[in-house]
Amino acid sequence: MKSPSARRKGGSHQIELNLVPIIDTMVTLIAFLLFTTSFLAIASIESPFPQASSSRTKEQLKEKPLQLTVSIRPAETEIWSPFDRFPKKTAPNPIPGQPDIKFVHDTLIQIKHQFPAETKIIIVPFSGVTYDTLITTMDSMRMMDPTDPPFYLKNEKTGIDEAVKTLFPEVIFGNLLGDT
Amino acid sequence: MASVATSSGTSRKAIRGRGRRKRMRNGFELQLTSLMDVFVIILVFLLKSYSASTNSFSTVPGIKLPLTGSPDNPPDSLQVIITPEAMTFENERILDFVQTAGDAGSISGGYAFKKTDVDEGGRRVIPLYDALMKARDKAELLRAKSAKRDANGQPLPFEGELAIQADKRVEYDTIRKIMYTAGSAGYKLFRFIAMKKDAG
Repeated sequence: MKSPSARRKGGSHQIELNLVPIIDTMVTLIAFLLFTTSFLAIASIESPFPQASSSRTKEQLKEKPLQLTVSIRPAETEIWSPFDRFPKKTAPNPIPGQPDIKFVHDTLIQIKHQFPAETKIIIVPFSGVTYDTLITTMDSMRMMDPTDPPFYLKNEKTGIDEAVKTLFPEVIFGNLLGDT
Repeated sequence: MASVATSSGTSRKAIRGRGRRKRMRNGFELQLTSLMDVFVIILVFLLKSYSASTNSFSTVPGIKLPLTGSPDNPPDSLQVIITPEAMTFENERILDFVQTAGDAGSISGGYAFKKTDVDEGGRRVIPLYDALMKARDKAELLRAKSAKRDANGQPLPFEGELAIQADKRVEYDTIRKIMYTAGSAGYKLFRFIAMKKDAG
């Protein structure tokens, strides 16, 4: 009868793992993934089609709505409220048709501090604004930059102050029927 | 003499080499472990990037998308692609623009709609409206046949989502016409497609 140590010695002959089928599987998987993966990272910005609503009209009449509006004109950009909830702010465009993004963003941050619960913004571009400028302007209206001063809003469910990560995320186009 | 010495030296080397070759043939094993390491790394990278790209958005050659910092990934929906040359709806070219000279110094591409392609005072794009209505009818038919129902047992309502993918030079006037046309065809939500900034 073999002693336990002798048995251990006897079983220690070299085992070689056959890696070839594993490599075959991996090559097939990599080929499949390379063919089907899209390396183009795309993102989207949502905007609803403006619709007339009557449900909140009475409620809204108690207090003048903000209706924060950004009008992009060929020579200048204006940030205003049709109900004069804050003083109108205007800045000339550094390049014709392209608004001063810093001015737009900084002004909207000030307005967000004044109206932290507001999420909607109306954009009224003139017809010659390019898609590139539209996307850049919408980005500056929707998102906070990491360098922006943080501010907090009380969560009504938990009662805890939470950092606001977005500026005015709901962008609505105000002149789909034509320039006014 | 020297040549004889050289040739005998060479032959001795050849004989020694034959011996080495024999030894190699007997004991040579391909080291697959490092190859496996490389494959595993590639596989992990591909799987990670694969999970982030679940949508099936197509594009057209030559389109230059603007960059956005938006973190939202667009879900699958009907899409219209606009370049300064043509408009494509669901991979089907539905209209070609007329090329114009464009304003001097203008960064936008010089293009315009054909007069026969628009109506309602130039606001509605007829070929796009027809294509959108066709797609809507198809979607509603599929929903009517589907087993999925709402709380009242009715077929699920038409979502009416449209992804707009435009070249960075396309003007708002064109995008406005598309939104107006889509709105009149019952589409309620638009998604503006752009390239993620951090994607390089």
